Amino acid sequence: MENDVIEIDVQKELVSAHGRMTLTIKVKLLGGELVVLFGESGAGKTTLLRMISGLTNPDRGILKVGNSVWFDSDAGINKPPQERNIGFVFQDYALFPNMSVFNNVAYGQTQGDKCYVNELLQKFGLEELSARKPDKLSGGQRQRVALARALARKPDFLLLDEPLSALDGDIRTSLQNEILKAHGINNATTLLVSHDLTEVFRLAHKVLQIKNGTITGMGKPDQLFLNNQISGKVQITGSIVKIQKQDAFYLLTVVTGMNQILKVTAFQNDIEKLSEGDRVMVFSKAFSPLILKM
Amino acid sequence: MNVIPVLIEAITCSDGVVLVDMQSDNCWLSAILVEGDELPTWLTKGAAVSAVFKESELSIAVNLSGKISLRNRLPCTVQKIECGEIMSVVSLKFGQHLIQSAITTRSAKALELNTGLEVTALIKANEVFLVQSIKNAQAPIPHPHQL
Repeated sequence: MENDVIEIDVQKELVSAHGRMTLTIKVKLLGGELVVLFGESGAGKTTLLRMISGLTNPDRGILKVGNSVWFDSDAGINKPPQERNIGFVFQDYALFPNMSVFNNVAYGQTQGDKCYVNELLQKFGLEELSARKPDKLSGGQRQRVALARALARKPDFLLLDEPLSALDGDIRTSLQNEILKAHGINNATTLLVSHDLTEVFRLAHKVLQIKNGTITGMGKPDQLFLNNQISGKVQITGSIVKIQKQDAFYLLTVVTGMNQILKVTAFQNDIEKLSEGDRVMVFSKAFSPLILKM
Repeated sequence: MNVIPVLIEAITCSDGVVLVDMQSDNCWLSAILVEGDELPTWLTKGAAVSAVFKESELSIAVNLSGKISLRNRLPCTVQKIECGEIMSVVSLKFGQHLIQSAITTRSAKALELNTGLEVTALIKANEVFLVQSIKNAQAPIPHPHQL
């Protein structure tokens, strides 16, 4: 699997919030890569994961992993999900509420192997919790169980559909490490859906940028995001909420997309082109900002 | 922000750090940039681009002498001074271009700045942005990918 090429060439008509669109994905991935699917909601990322796993059928196309054909509309081939050896982690964990942590993880296996279940519980720090039911776990713990369960069958493919979006702050950061760990355990080719740039830069070997059902960009995070958009500098976008004359210059109050409030000085020639309500980009060179651990 | 046209004369790279030497109105300028693995396609020797820097990063010297690390020294003539209580904005003519420097009012007074005085404007290389050709100082803010 690790050296296999995964060939995806599929199409599917979808009705999204923005109307009808054709999801058209053609890409070759290397086995063992950790690929982040990046794009806005409704771009077709989740549908792509579902088509790889066999939960949704493409209208037409081919899906090939090494020499094994999983889907081929012309040849009438469509391997059922249970024959695709995939681990899937959902945003909402999807654990069985009536089963213990141990049994949830063991459920992911095709053949019972208690030793491996225990090994996974230990790797994800879940040993002490193995008898608990999911409702007695925190969000971060539940997602660790879901990751362990997805790995229980030693999958070739690990599909992670926004697994961290329900978590916040430190938990998110620590779960990013768990994802790296999960990817490393048997080097499963991992596809992670995310629209969080932190995740992209921490985790991705490769990013597929998807917009309105098609791939609009592909490459390493640096290539895709730094050269084009950030260019190695500090860039924040926001809206001007206040312009005040102060002494010989102006002070702008800018509210960012993350709801942070910035105060930025500006001068007469800047102000001539700006008014309150304008969307602006505040930028500085990579050298200028100071940094303080929080 | 201050925007002046420049011609790139030399580019030196070391890992992701890039030193760009350029000329504007017969004056040598340099910029230090931090880039990714590859330089933007427009950043090449011989390219005409714009150097951009903030008013508050531009210092002013009168009768500059002695040794100083700043190599970006722009010969300018004072055009106008707008004094606030604490900060002053000094408009400077550099070649055919108008740039501004924001300094404290007490510095402006200590330098005895007045219209027509010849001064040297100084800017650190790490404070100079390079932007793909902006035609003049009144041009709109460039698209992010041009920065």
